[in-house]
Amino acid sequence: MARGLSRQQIGVTVAMIDSYGDLVFEMSHNKQTRRGDPIRELDFAAIEARRGELGMSDGQIAQRIGLSEIQVMYIRTTMERRRFRTNHFQRLLELGGGKRFRHERFTAHEDRFQYHDDAIALREAMTFNPERARYYAEQGWWADDTLSGWLARNVAERPAAPAVILDGVVMDYASLAARVDRLAGGLHGLGLGPGDVIAVQLPNVPDYLVGYLAIARLGAVMTTLYMPHRGREFATLLGHSRARAMICLSDAGGFPAAQTALDLDLEKLQSVIAIGTDVAKAVPGAVPFEDLAAGTASADALGLPLPVAADPFLLLYTSGTTASPKAVPHNSHTMLGNARLGAAEHQLSADDVILSAPPFGHLFALYSFHLALYSGAANLLLPAFTPPDLAATIEAGGATALFAAPAHMAACLGMGLFDKHDCSSLGLMVLSGSAVPDEMARAVDRKLPDCAINQLWGMTETQGALYCRPGDSIETAATSAGQPAPGVEARINDDGELQVRGSMLFPGYFDNPGANAAAFTKDGWFRSGDLASQDRQGNIAITGRIKDIINRGGVKYNPREIEDLLDKHPGIAQSAIVPMPDNVLGERACCFAVAIDPDIDLDGLCQYLLGHGIAKTKLPERLVLVAEMPLTPTRKIIKGRLFLP
Amino acid sequence: MASTKSADTEGAKQAILDYCLRKGALAAGVADLEALERIAPPGHRPSDLMPKVKSVISLGVGGQTQGAWSVPAKAMGYFGSTETRAYTIAYGAAFFIEGMYQTPAIYCPPDMDNEKGPRVPLQSLKLHAEIAGIGARSLAGDILLHPEFGYMYYASIFTELALEPDQPMAENPCPAPSCVSMYRQIGRTPCQKFCPVQCLSGHIDADGKQAEMHYDMAACAEMSQQYEAVPALLAEAMAAEDAQGRDDILFDPDNKMLWYKMSVGSGGLLAQCFECMRVCPIATKSPLADPIRRSKAKAAT
Repeated sequence: MARGLSRQQIGVTVAMIDSYGDLVFEMSHNKQTRRGDPIRELDFAAIEARRGELGMSDGQIAQRIGLSEIQVMYIRTTMERRRFRTNHFQRLLELGGGKRFRHERFTAHEDRFQYHDDAIALREAMTFNPERARYYAEQGWWADDTLSGWLARNVAERPAAPAVILDGVVMDYASLAARVDRLAGGLHGLGLGPGDVIAVQLPNVPDYLVGYLAIARLGAVMTTLYMPHRGREFATLLGHSRARAMICLSDAGGFPAAQTALDLDLEKLQSVIAIGTDVAKAVPGAVPFEDLAAGTASADALGLPLPVAADPFLLLYTSGTTASPKAVPHNSHTMLGNARLGAAEHQLSADDVILSAPPFGHLFALYSFHLALYSGAANLLLPAFTPPDLAATIEAGGATALFAAPAHMAACLGMGLFDKHDCSSLGLMVLSGSAVPDEMARAVDRKLPDCAINQLWGMTETQGALYCRPGDSIETAATSAGQPAPGVEARINDDGELQVRGSMLFPGYFDNPGANAAAFTKDGWFRSGDLASQDRQGNIAITGRIKDIINRGGVKYNPREIEDLLDKHPGIAQSAIVPMPDNVLGERACCFAVAIDPDIDLDGLCQYLLGHGIAKTKLPERLVLVAEMPLTPTRKIIKGRLFLP
Repeated sequence: MASTKSADTEGAKQAILDYCLRKGALAAGVADLEALERIAPPGHRPSDLMPKVKSVISLGVGGQTQGAWSVPAKAMGYFGSTETRAYTIAYGAAFFIEGMYQTPAIYCPPDMDNEKGPRVPLQSLKLHAEIAGIGARSLAGDILLHPEFGYMYYASIFTELALEPDQPMAENPCPAPSCVSMYRQIGRTPCQKFCPVQCLSGHIDADGKQAEMHYDMAACAEMSQQYEAVPALLAEAMAAEDAQGRDDILFDPDNKMLWYKMSVGSGGLLAQCFECMRVCPIATKSPLADPIRRSKAKAAT
């Protein structure tokens, strides 16, 4: 319509718009060219001669090309409409300010980064209860924590302070940040960006942390693979996580990790980044890690946007004892808020030297790293655990805080390493990963009288949810996992199951609705699957696993106390009791054991247990001797992988 | 455009221009009506608006404060350009003329041509000012500049009172020597270099004068004048595949801002971005370009 007249009344056709549209647009005021200064000079001849360039009115165009004025107006406004792009003013918002304008710095909206579908799917999984989210933010439990922000703070406050120590070689915070910045730039150069999942399989070496921080700087998401993982696990976890890249060794102790990843030929795995000797030649197709970390690209110089706390940045597969792994996404709110709040509770500071016995592929080790980074402390690294190496590293590196699994300590105690090494620098030992035997905790306490022994209870889903605090008595620390962390609520339901919720809790398993349905109560509490009891002071002790319960003809019992007794038997190194199907009673108890005494038998064990007051109904009814137990990285027995012969 | 005027009209012209200056205009002049009638296209000539017009008076008020040039560009964009100070003076001048000289006068509306759409002004206030000698076209898309006052906002008064016309400026202050120097080095002047949408280009001749000025008004308007976004967005929303798509378009944060501007008649981002003027030495550094400079100049005299 123009002046209330339809196109049919005006006599403008689509063909006419197509034919004259560009001409009319160019002759109109939309495109103006002035040669000289004819108007100021009142050079009427020049004005008339160049009207077409100066920009003509509709009437003048109509007269010039033989259309009616209203037809020109219709065609011109149609062309203006067709060419107009909405939101183009963003150029001004992003580029304006005179000197800030640079051609190369502007990218048209349509050409800008956008999260791919997999990244959006992962972000969709970060769905929190809105009331809880508001509450956590109001309490300050969710803030603006990011690894990049923490690293930058440390660089500003203590650039020369030790950040990472391995075998006496120190990398300070400034050097760490510079390497992270370059690696992030290098990863960006590979086409990786925010939301991309990048898998890491490395021992606890400095480049693990460099890689992790670079992935976080990029806004990407790290997923971890344990060192024992091989092609089958690669295929499952890289496929489920939709990983776009993997950082690994070219040669992991004889296992060709990088080549294995390449050979999988996964559709979404774009890059395999390898650490090793002469990677380019040894693993054709792999990208040498060092080329990226020592390259000239820098995330900051490239102006890559900084991540924010709500971005998912970790996708961890549970080391739980159930058969199929579940993907646990975390963002900085849940993950780093927990560490920030925990640093004060653990009484850590920039003066600490923190050592993790478990691998960084496990959340417990990452938790220790997060605590160190938040505190500005040094990370003392132990690439791979052996009891002697752990004790030697504590001594040589002057570790002040140790994060370890009970099995780590049991091994050190068993080998008398605390007598052979000076571990007196330790002021804090946080034990987690599996149940802490009372006597073992007391034994460590006797060996390290100046070190606070603290139990911590957590899961990949919950992080550090319960823990003892420095200052708690050994009685408390040996018999309980202490009290909830800041931001955490815990309850024990009628069945004795420990349930938690809080600012540290993951939002739900990624791409696993079945697991999510089972993991949460209707009112949003996370079912830990652990049995617990609480004393009058509020300390919570983990007493077993719900799934470990043996139901022998309706008599239900937790085999934990029997396992504890068997573990103390001189003929047994390690034991695990699992239910075995029975046609009459439904279930009976079967004992798997790693024997020290090869002649040990079921009758002898039962007599031993009866002698310690165990009821007949709880006695194991079958004994299976195994060479070794299937263990998680925190050396917890994976009962789901104990199969009856 | 010489014409014979009586002593009374000479006095009237001075009284009217004095009135404008007294009320806050920095500069005022009378444009040659015959020149305007020859240059302006049919439909946009002064006589098309006021058939018995005899004179067109143009006035300019100060452009921006010195502080305004230092704010971030996006904030600068919010300042808008519909300058009520200029129009208020022009309105008053029309009343002044009728009251003093009993001759019809109008304040020239700065609005768009209702028949031609929002990109077409009813009258070119720029043309009036240029012919009245209170501004000259710059390389920055023909924005008028004044050697003393720099960048100004203009308003016009039409009257049936015959007044002696002034002459356009003898010299164009644009390009400034520093701009010529920059052009010699990189082939662009500051306004050309720093336009966010690169809608400006052109050349300076060997004498340091304007040779060519190219202005892509479509690109400029696309960035700064959002009114066309309204129907465009509505059309996009209607063509969306589903309700979610429609919502994404209509309630996108940027677009919600647009609805706000439309609903309250806000001038924010509906005018010009000022980036070409921000980097223009004439606009920002002329001797009397802003209140601070004018105040210091007044104190010095």
